[in-house]
Amino acid sequence: MELAIGIILGCCALGAGIAMIAGIGPGIGEGNAVAKACEAIGRQPECKGNVTTTMLMGCAIAETTGLYALVIAILLIFVAPGRLVDILIETMGNIK
Amino acid sequence: MENKSQRFKLLDTLYLAMMILPIVCGIIIKVLTNPPSEGISITGAKIYFTLKMPIQDLPITESQINSWFVMISITGLCLFLTHGLKEKADTKRQHIAEWIVENSEKLVIGNMGEFFSGFAPFIASILGLSAFSSLLALFGLYAPTSDVNVTAGWAILVFVLITYYKCKCGPLVYAKSFADPVLLAPLNIISEVATPISMAFRHYGNVLSGSVISVLLASGLQGLSAIVFGKLPGFLGEFPFLQIGIPAVLSVYFDVFSGILQAYIFAMLTMLYVAGGFPADEYFRRKALKNN
Amino acid sequence: MQSLDVISVNFWQIVISLANLTILFLILKKFLFKPVKNVLEQRQQTLDSKYDEAERSVVEAESSKKQWEEKLRSAEEEAETIIRTASEDAKNHGNRIVAEARDQAEGIVRQARSTAELERRSAEEDIKREIIDVSAVLTEKILGREINMQDHRTMIDSFIAEIGDDDDGNK
Repeated sequence: MELAIGIILGCCALGAGIAMIAGIGPGIGEGNAVAKACEAIGRQPECKGNVTTTMLMGCAIAETTGLYALVIAILLIFVAPGRLVDILIETMGNIK
Repeated sequence: MENKSQRFKLLDTLYLAMMILPIVCGIIIKVLTNPPSEGISITGAKIYFTLKMPIQDLPITESQINSWFVMISITGLCLFLTHGLKEKADTKRQHIAEWIVENSEKLVIGNMGEFFSGFAPFIASILGLSAFSSLLALFGLYAPTSDVNVTAGWAILVFVLITYYKCKCGPLVYAKSFADPVLLAPLNIISEVATPISMAFRHYGNVLSGSVISVLLASGLQGLSAIVFGKLPGFLGEFPFLQIGIPAVLSVYFDVFSGILQAYIFAMLTMLYVAGGFPADEYFRRKALKNN
Repeated sequence: MQSLDVISVNFWQIVISLANLTILFLILKKFLFKPVKNVLEQRQQTLDSKYDEAERSVVEAESSKKQWEEKLRSAEEEAETIIRTASEDAKNHGNRIVAEARDQAEGIVRQARSTAELERRSAEEDIKREIIDVSAVLTEKILGREINMQDHRTMIDSFIAEIGDDDDGNK
């Protein structure tokens, strides 16, 4: 029983950690976006306001995939263990 | 300024109270219902009571109550700003009201075109509700936008609007818009359904991640201050000195900046999706035909 | 106190938030956009009327300016004609005065000349008579005798008349 709960908790934590690998994607993407925005501002400093606004929008949208990963990680850490342990206890009770 | 009547001042005070009292109420409820020294816990909204409903039980939670508070507050703000409007603008509040109206119309017309100028109040309400909901976190209240149900409701409303404007030229045109390359129709349908989900989760995830990180940081600082100042005698040893001030810096980013940016993005995406889904050429062509 | 999970989808909560947004949209439309737009429209109307008024007054000013210019031009013409007529009058008047003066002067000269003639004639008469008297005395003295005064007089008269005729003829 304890072993099963331990396995559940450990796997949930591992899964959360693996899910957050998705943070790489938005990081690279936003880095590219900001680099291009810097280039654009350097080329045309008068467009700074427009470029900054558009860049922030794009960054926030590119962040979405990372946020999905974050949501899944939060689910795995804070929600899933409780549910899974409940299910485990139920099935164990049924078996007994 | 001097010739304001008693009634005018009374109404002014009423509207101001309507703006401020909901937030005070929320803080009082939060203080009354918050169990002391809960420790680290990342959960959803607290359930105040549960109503029996046909499909699913409806728990009335902090997110509902807080969003109602926000709505009352925004209504009070509107009444306060538009109270005593004159043709010749000489009060600051009238300037603010006109600024809000003109800018939201400019934003809507700039992004969607003349045809959608009626969307200005809708976009303004999305911006206001979303931004103020996120800003509630500044008062230590539960931000309604960190509940997925709230943002999902907005996203579904937006999805309904998108579908309505796509169907403006009849269901055939709507069906045809999916089968642009016929083979990709399933993918198109999936992406159409994914639109509200992605909008809801984007907003929700941003605000929630902010609040989670804030909670983690606060608890971490508590532990750190217990290690650093734990040797001090009595009360001083228990007081979390490091929690003063440092979380505020993060709060500026996660609550103010991120909340307002997400509200702006939600409004922007609404405008782009609705205006992009609307088959403008076809619609105006048919209208011209009908007129002729 | 119970609380929801971090993610828990509830149908009614979604409906509530959907309704919230719709209600807030209606509230904003009614309490913020409508009054402000009304005020803006009123302002636009007053602005338009002000502009119309201004344009109208500009047109009026233009027309009155034109009128004034016309009046000014006619006044100038009038003044010119007045000056011209006045100068002509003055010239005529002067001419008349000069002519009158010349006439008068001529009259005076003529009168003076006639009086001078008359005086000359009377003086001639006097001189003749005195010459006759003197010549009668002289001849009396020369001849030593008294002659008939009457005869003398006729004789000398004729003589002098001859002289005078000669004189006139010489002239």
